[in-house]
Amino acid sequence: MLTSAVLQAINGISLAALLFLLASGFTLSFGLMRVVNMAHGAYYLLGGYIGLTIAEKTGSFALALVGGGAAIIVVGYLIDRFLIRRTGENHLAQVLLTVGVAFVIGDVALAIWGGDNLMVPAPKFLKGAVILPGDVYYPRYRFVLIFLGVAVGVALWLLYKKTQLGAVVRAGVDDREQVNATGINVDRLFVMVSGLASFLAGMAGVAGGAFLTLYPGAEWEILVYALVVVIVGGLGSLEGAMIGALIVGLLDAYGRWLLPEFSYFVLFGPIALLMLFRPRGLFGREY
Amino acid sequence: MDRGRAVLAAVALAAALALPSAAGPFWTGLVTQMYIFGLLALSVDLLLGHAGLFSLTHASFFAVSAYTVAILQVRYAVPTALAAPAGILAGTLLALLFGLAVRTRGVYFILITIAFGYVVWGVAHRWSSFTGGDNGVTNVPFPALGAAAITSHTQYYYLVLAAVIVCGLGYRVFMRSPFGLGLRGIKASESRMQSLGFRTSAHLYAAFVLSGALASFAGVLYVYYNKFVNPVAASFPVSVEAALMAIVGGTGTIIGPFLGAAVVLGLRNWVSSFFELHAAVMGAVFIATVLWAPQGLVGIAGRLRARFGKAKERTP
Repeated sequence: MLTSAVLQAINGISLAALLFLLASGFTLSFGLMRVVNMAHGAYYLLGGYIGLTIAEKTGSFALALVGGGAAIIVVGYLIDRFLIRRTGENHLAQVLLTVGVAFVIGDVALAIWGGDNLMVPAPKFLKGAVILPGDVYYPRYRFVLIFLGVAVGVALWLLYKKTQLGAVVRAGVDDREQVNATGINVDRLFVMVSGLASFLAGMAGVAGGAFLTLYPGAEWEILVYALVVVIVGGLGSLEGAMIGALIVGLLDAYGRWLLPEFSYFVLFGPIALLMLFRPRGLFGREY
Repeated sequence: MDRGRAVLAAVALAAALALPSAAGPFWTGLVTQMYIFGLLALSVDLLLGHAGLFSLTHASFFAVSAYTVAILQVRYAVPTALAAPAGILAGTLLALLFGLAVRTRGVYFILITIAFGYVVWGVAHRWSSFTGGDNGVTNVPFPALGAAAITSHTQYYYLVLAAVIVCGLGYRVFMRSPFGLGLRGIKASESRMQSLGFRTSAHLYAAFVLSGALASFAGVLYVYYNKFVNPVAASFPVSVEAALMAIVGGTGTIIGPFLGAAVVLGLRNWVSSFFELHAAVMGAVFIATVLWAPQGLVGIAGRLRARFGKAKERTP
C-alpha cells in the first residue's frame, strides 16, 4: 500500500513534468500576448509525430526532441502570424479559430500517421527499470521525464526572473503599451515567446509520446490537462504553471489509482474549489 | 412581424411540413438532425448571443440527458412519460452544478467550461459498468405516450418539428421579457447593470441553468432519434460545433442557430461523401467563419439587405 502510494507519487510528478512543458508555454503566451491558443494540444501531437518519424529515421532520441520542437516553431509561427494575429484580442474568436486549426492539424496527422497508438522509441539507456529500495521496479524513463521537466522549469525560471530578456517579458505581461513606449520591440518579443511556447509544446509531444503514446484525440486529452493546470495556477503565471502541474499530476495519479472510473472527475474538484474561493487561480490576476 | 416575414415564415413552415413526402427518408433524417442540433446551438446562443458568455460544456447537458433517457428506457423499461422528463431533470441538475462557472468571466469561463465538459466525457467513457463505455447504450425505442406511439422516422420528424417550433416561440417570449433584456444589458455592460441594482451573477446563473435545460431537451430529442448514445455525444467537438453553428448562423437570433446547424451538418454530410479529411474541412469552416463571417449568415443577410435597400432608395 505504502509502496503503491510512493509509486503513484512518482507517476504524478512525471505527468506533472510533462504538463508543465505544455502549460508553461500556454500560460506565458497568454500572459504576454493575451492569446488563447487551443491548438497547443495539436502542437504537442504534431511535434510528437514528427519526432517519432525523426527517431525512426535517425535513431536519435535527442534529435527527435529538438526536431519535433523545431518543426513546431515553424508551424506555430505561421499560424500565429497569418491567423491568430488577425483576431486581435477577441478571445472568443481566438478560441474558435485555434480549435479549427487543431481540427485541421489533427486530421492531417491522422491521414499521415494513421489511427493506431504509436510510441516514440526511447533509446536503450533511458528504458528499462530502476530498482527502488524495497525491490520495486520502476520505469527509468519516468525519472528522465521528471529531470527534463525540472531542467526546463529551472531554465525558464532563471530566464524569466534573472535575465534582462525575462525582465522585459515580465514588464510586457504587466503593461504592454508602456514597454512598447520605452522603445522595446514588443512584436519581436512576441515572436520569441510564442516560438519558445511552440518549441516546448513540440518537445513535450516527443517526450510524452515515449510513454503516453500518440494517437488521434491525444491532443485534446493533454490540452484539457494543461488547461486545468493553467486554471488552477492562474493564467499568465510561471509559478502557477509549476504548482498547478504538480497538483494536477498528483491528483490524476491518485485518482486513477483510487477511483479508476472517476479519475477525470477528480480534476473537477480543485477547479470547483478554486471557483468558490479564488476564481482567478492561485497566482492569477484579472484579465 | 411585418408581412414579408410572415410570408417567409409561412413558406418555411409549409416546406418543413411537406419535406418528408417530397424529399424522402434521407433528407427527413438529415433535417431532423438539423432541428435537434439547431436546438442545442440555440441553447449555447442563449448564453453567447444574449449574455456574452461562451460556454464549451453544453455537450455535457445534452449527453447526460440523453444517457439518462437511454438507460431508463432500455435497462429499466421506464416509459417515455417518465424517462424524458427525468432526462431533462438530470441535465438541468448538472447545469445547476456547472453554473458555478459564472463566477468567472472571459477566458477563465471558456477554459473552465472546457474542463467541465471533459470531466463528463471522461465519466461516460470510463464508467463502463454504468454507461456502457465506448459502446454506450443502444436500442433506444421511439418515444411512446401510453397508446400513442411514434413508429417511424417520419412521425418522429413531425414531433421534433413541433418541439422546435414550441421552443422557438417560448425562447422569443423569454428573450423579450425583462429577464432577457437584463441579460442583454449584462452583455453590453455588466458594471452598469450592477450599479442599476441588478445581481448580475444571479442573473447569469439563472440563464446558465435555463440554457442547460434547453440543451438537455435537445439531448432527449437526440437520443430518441439516434437510438443510441455513446461518449461522442459528450465530447468537446459537439460543444464547440454547437457554438460554431450559432456563430455561423448569427448569434443573438432565433433562426441563426438553426441556419448554422443546417450549414454545418449539410456541409459535413456532403463533404464526407467524397473527401476523407472532413474534420479538417470543419476546421477550415471554423477558421473561415472567424476571419470572414464573424456575424454569421444573419449578419451577411443584414449587410446585403442594407446595401440592396439603399440601392433601391437611390433609384426610385
